[in-house]
Amino acid sequence: MAKTLLSIVIIFVMIQFISKNSYSVEPEEFLQNPKQEMRARNISKNIRCLVCQNQSIDDSSAPLAKDLRTLIRIKVQENDTDEEIYKFLTDRYGDFILLKPPFKISTFLLWSLPFVFVIIGIFILFIHNKKSKKLS
Amino acid sequence: MKKKILIFPFIAFLFILIVFFYLLVIERDPSELPSVLIDKKIPTFEAESLLNKKTFISKNEFGTETTLVNFFATWCGPCRDEHVYLKRLSNEKGLKIIGVNYKDDPNKTVEWLKELGNPYSDVIVDSKGLIGIDWGVYGIPETYIVNSKGIIKYRLVGPITKKNYNAFYSKIKESEY
Amino acid sequence: MVPSLGNFSLWLALCFAIFQFVISCKKNNKSTLYFNKIAVNGLLLCTFLSFLSLMYSYLVSDFSVVNVFQNSHTTKPLLYKIAAVWGNHEGSMLLWILVLAIFNYFIFKLYNKTNSIFISKTLETQAFVTIGFLLFTLLTSNPFERIIPVPTNGLGFNPILQDPALAIHPPLLYIGYVGFSAAFSFSISAMSTESIEKVPWYNYMKPFVLAAWTFLTIGIAFGSIWAYYELGWGGWWFWDPVENASFMPWLLGTALVHSLVTVEKKMMLQKWVLLLAILAFLLSVVGTFLVRSGILTSVHTFALDPARGIYILIFIGILGAYSLILFALNSKKFLDKNYVSFLSREGSILVNNIIMIVVCSSVFLGTIYPLIIEAFSNNKISVGEPYFNSTVVPIVIPAILIMGVVPLLSWKKIDVKKIFRKTLPSIVLTIIVTTIFLWIYQSYNPLGLIGIFLACWVISNIVFKQNNIPKFSKSMVMAHIGISLLILGVTGSSVWQKEKIIRMKINDETIIHNYNIIFKEIKEVVGKNYIALQGNFWIYNNKKSIITKLNPENRFYPVTNNSTTEASIHTNLLRDLYIVLGDGNEKDGWVVRVYYNPLVAWIWIGAFVIFLGGLFSINTNLKIVKRLSI
Repeated sequence: MAKTLLSIVIIFVMIQFISKNSYSVEPEEFLQNPKQEMRARNISKNIRCLVCQNQSIDDSSAPLAKDLRTLIRIKVQENDTDEEIYKFLTDRYGDFILLKPPFKISTFLLWSLPFVFVIIGIFILFIHNKKSKKLS
Repeated sequence: MKKKILIFPFIAFLFILIVFFYLLVIERDPSELPSVLIDKKIPTFEAESLLNKKTFISKNEFGTETTLVNFFATWCGPCRDEHVYLKRLSNEKGLKIIGVNYKDDPNKTVEWLKELGNPYSDVIVDSKGLIGIDWGVYGIPETYIVNSKGIIKYRLVGPITKKNYNAFYSKIKESEY
Repeated sequence: MVPSLGNFSLWLALCFAIFQFVISCKKNNKSTLYFNKIAVNGLLLCTFLSFLSLMYSYLVSDFSVVNVFQNSHTTKPLLYKIAAVWGNHEGSMLLWILVLAIFNYFIFKLYNKTNSIFISKTLETQAFVTIGFLLFTLLTSNPFERIIPVPTNGLGFNPILQDPALAIHPPLLYIGYVGFSAAFSFSISAMSTESIEKVPWYNYMKPFVLAAWTFLTIGIAFGSIWAYYELGWGGWWFWDPVENASFMPWLLGTALVHSLVTVEKKMMLQKWVLLLAILAFLLSVVGTFLVRSGILTSVHTFALDPARGIYILIFIGILGAYSLILFALNSKKFLDKNYVSFLSREGSILVNNIIMIVVCSSVFLGTIYPLIIEAFSNNKISVGEPYFNSTVVPIVIPAILIMGVVPLLSWKKIDVKKIFRKTLPSIVLTIIVTTIFLWIYQSYNPLGLIGIFLACWVISNIVFKQNNIPKFSKSMVMAHIGISLLILGVTGSSVWQKEKIIRMKINDETIIHNYNIIFKEIKEVVGKNYIALQGNFWIYNNKKSIITKLNPENRFYPVTNNSTTEASIHTNLLRDLYIVLGDGNEKDGWVVRVYYNPLVAWIWIGAFVIFLGGLFSINTNLKIVKRLSI
């Protein structure tokens, strides 16, 4: 059962690779305006390639990645803001398409816990220091 | 208070263990993406129709009966494999199926349908894949169940197969509720 | 015949492990030692035999063995036939068990009159862990399963996996993971033994932890080296879940090593050692779980099989529950001499511990958070590189700052003014060297500034060590220098990297950071088992003399219908020049990606220096243990 699932997934994913083999961003995709191009690339670097393993669409050779890169460049040229472009993509593909998790109630723990751990750590240090002063 | 802190690692450990256990026990495909369009109205679009000599306007085609939207292409092997099941759904169950020809050559599609048969009430051309992006398609074949009110109720990622045919058909029947 | 022997020895190994467990449970001293000798040696011998049987099957290409069929091929070069033994799920489990048995043997060698109860308990725990892995392998992942009729040739031929760095990467990692199993066993034993104050349990634990940590370091480094040279993106770390799974035990291992030193020297931070030893091993097994259970997908995952996952999870549950509850109940009997004060060596180690644990928790959180969200809602989120970079980097910076000051701190409180006076020369040197770097690379990115500053800071302080500060060992110096070099390389290659993507026709020229690159030729090349399109590029420096010729290739392997990109790299101590050939044709030209990667070589040099430092340290600590065992 698992093996069938696996083969289906593999075939399904390979479909993305059958057509032309490109190797991430191509020179022809670059926008003329370097500032806009920089923006487009920075946005792309934050968008996950959905048919790859842990790559952004900026790095990926998959056709879907290329389609999304092109779409992003069109929107950058139309002067959409970064938030508008991200919203466009998450409206269709969900939060999963973002490599940097959004700041939402559901990700509150994700973003706040490291900070909480640091505070707890500093607290432990202070207690240790205080108690060592007492004993010496 | 100090002593009670020592039990904290165990509590955290237990929580994580339970989450992992739950995820393993349920049936899930870790690489599958859930659709964010479920329970939402279909994206509106207009496109060139392949079979009928007019423009396909989505507003006119949905909202009357349960409809399937099937994204496919002639270069896609599993699409060919699932074709027989699409025909069954169309002929035996009388379902309206709209095909979206994703990033394909329309001439090849016409030949393909001639060869395999046509289960679609209409086929629209999505040469750049933009309609696919609007629907959140990330690989084909993908089939969406749209109920009679024009709401997307379910998405099947991957081909319809002998194994999932019955389950899929149940989802179609459930979509009205 | 041989595979059946392999299978039989593995079952026999299980019997020896169960025997060892039962024997070590009992309290009788004399016969315990004698019977354990049989059990330990028997276990080692049988696992060795089993492992060699599998290797033999690969070497002779015995395709009647399912495992060999799936992972090998007659045309595979010898080195990779050997590497294929552990390059798959079942074989790698066998390697895990072999390393468990080897460490088990070394634990046994520690026996002497005073520590027999402690060592017995350690062997009992180690036996339990070994039994768990043996049962898992024998029941769900047996490498000796047969197939009839015997196929004429095998399936195993992924060309990307045929690489020396990748071949050696798993054994090194497993020495790391399994080494922590010994630390785990020592920890459990220490907490379960009466009158543990009489036994220097931390001295016994230390060489094992050092071995684990040292080999884990170099194992992770080889994985990154492979990724950098093979994958064609110029990257060497991707925060992939399985990469994180190797990084987390390393972080805890670092904290553990430092805490052990503190226990040795000052009898402080004992509870930290006990807990870190447990957590480092638990994380190693959780890493195994993530890779083999199918709970998430990654480039590294072996097989999608939830049944295996449930087994490992139950095993983790038993180990974790027992150890963590034992910790909650018994760790309080380990009374430290004192609490730790800030401005002392032990203070800096405590700070380091906390930072390592915070980084580890962040990495862990980022890795499993998508799974938690998925369990509680229908959503899927992804946690990628941006999250890890923004949480890990800021926390690591203070750790390195402190690492710089450590040589100046003694094992008790010290005067702030004194430290400042002592660090003055290093501060000056650091500023000078940092400025030189910025002038060479002409990049003023603040992160780059911080990275170079930190690396120079650590090294300067070591350079200026004065006579009246406390001794520190050769190995510590090496390891700390290694880390600085690593940071130098990491900073340079990420912050100062330059990339150029252009389309070039034959005889076109392009420039990247003072280098002229001319596209000379494109030709078809035939290799041993592939055909390739090769581009020839000539690289000139700004004095117009030729530096090197780079030949990136796009290879096609007909047997597996696979394509790979082979980057071509020119390395020196200052930078790498990295070229990848893309798609194209004569008329339109070819897509060429050029990277200028400063200081990459120092990442590998740094890792290797740490490895050497670790080896020296293992040697020193083994001498200490030998003296104890007399």
